Amino acid sequence: MKPRTLWTPLLLVVALAPIAAFAAFAEENSAPEPLVLGSAIPMADAKLKAVDGKQIAVADLTGKKGTLVVFTCNACPWAKMWESRIALIGNAAQKRGIGVVAINANDPNVNSEDSYAEMVKRAKKLGLKFPYAMDGTSQVAVAYGATRTPEAFLFDASGKLVYHGTIDDNAKDAGAVKQPYLREAVDAVAAGKTVPIAETKSLGCGIKFRKA
Amino acid sequence: MTRLIRRRALAAFVAVAALAVPGCSSQPQSASPATGGAAPSVVLGDTARPAAPISPASVLQIRPADGAMMRTAVREPGARVTLVNVWATWCAPCREEFPELVRLERAWRDRGARVMFVSADFDDQLPAVRAFLSEQGVTAPSWIKTGDDMAFINAIEPRWTGALPATFIYDSRGELVRFWEGKADYAKFESELRAALEQSPKPL
Repeated sequence: MKPRTLWTPLLLVVALAPIAAFAAFAEENSAPEPLVLGSAIPMADAKLKAVDGKQIAVADLTGKKGTLVVFTCNACPWAKMWESRIALIGNAAQKRGIGVVAINANDPNVNSEDSYAEMVKRAKKLGLKFPYAMDGTSQVAVAYGATRTPEAFLFDASGKLVYHGTIDDNAKDAGAVKQPYLREAVDAVAAGKTVPIAETKSLGCGIKFRKA
Repeated sequence: MTRLIRRRALAAFVAVAALAVPGCSSQPQSASPATGGAAPSVVLGDTARPAAPISPASVLQIRPADGAMMRTAVREPGARVTLVNVWATWCAPCREEFPELVRLERAWRDRGARVMFVSADFDDQLPAVRAFLSEQGVTAPSWIKTGDDMAFINAIEPRWTGALPATFIYDSRGELVRFWEGKADYAKFESELRAALEQSPKPL
């Protein structure tokens, strides 16, 4: 065989290797696709059991000005650090015409502190004026691409996602917050304005999805 | 007379040596300053207490690191692949998978892989971090996250949502080749490591 004919297959392998590697990487990367800005409310009709015993759907809770959905839970220390701020922001948002719901998508078999009974107690303790509901299959969280608690999704008056992310930049110290991301996003949506910082992140506990 | 001076000098030496050993501050030191001005300043008598044994936790290195520092660390020569695991003492699934990672590190350290643990605990939880690492048998240096969450998350990997635990595997050039969020078991750690090793260019 002439030496030159060996080059073609060799070049092919060299060219395809990074593609193959990327494909393998992409397959292995198990972080779900996050909901992109502009998306509509996923699974808006899915029934969730709220702490008052009623079955509710996010579609029934949308507000004139917008809708705020916060995935949170009872057990995660980060959710606990932020929970009173979530309560404050949520209660205030509701007053301004934004529908609010907090959703616990965790499997309570992983941590009994995430049980429905505990949710009832926590809602009372926090003085929530909006529903705190259980995503009984964890599939609503999957539909949002939510991965951690707490994680907030704010939709505008037309039902489009305009903010996705964390509560603020300081879980540990409410007094030292420099960037109150969610509060500012809610202010913007209530005023019909553009959200200044639309996508943020923070560390948090992974959502304990129920096994299929 | 000479014998007594020699014994006292030896006691003084041991006392000073004991003070120099780190992490022993919780042990009552026999070398307390003597009242009165006469030298030597240490009076121990004939039975000097030996220095307390050094516990691994007292010398465990936990370095503060931001995302950029971690990206540099994974590029340092010494391994064909580097597995970085971000965990926290308050994260139950992190604690559950941790022993598997310790086992993995031991099994693969001579086969081209290294494991870097990065705690996402707050600074004031450092004692808890130390205690956990020591309990798990980690003696190598590890890291604790410093600075803003978002900057840290995005510097490590923009696709990472910030959920814990999170595991990242880098090749010998420091390029990310494997990444996942959530708890894993030994089988998964090992198969991901193997895959990364296969993809990783051999060092020259």
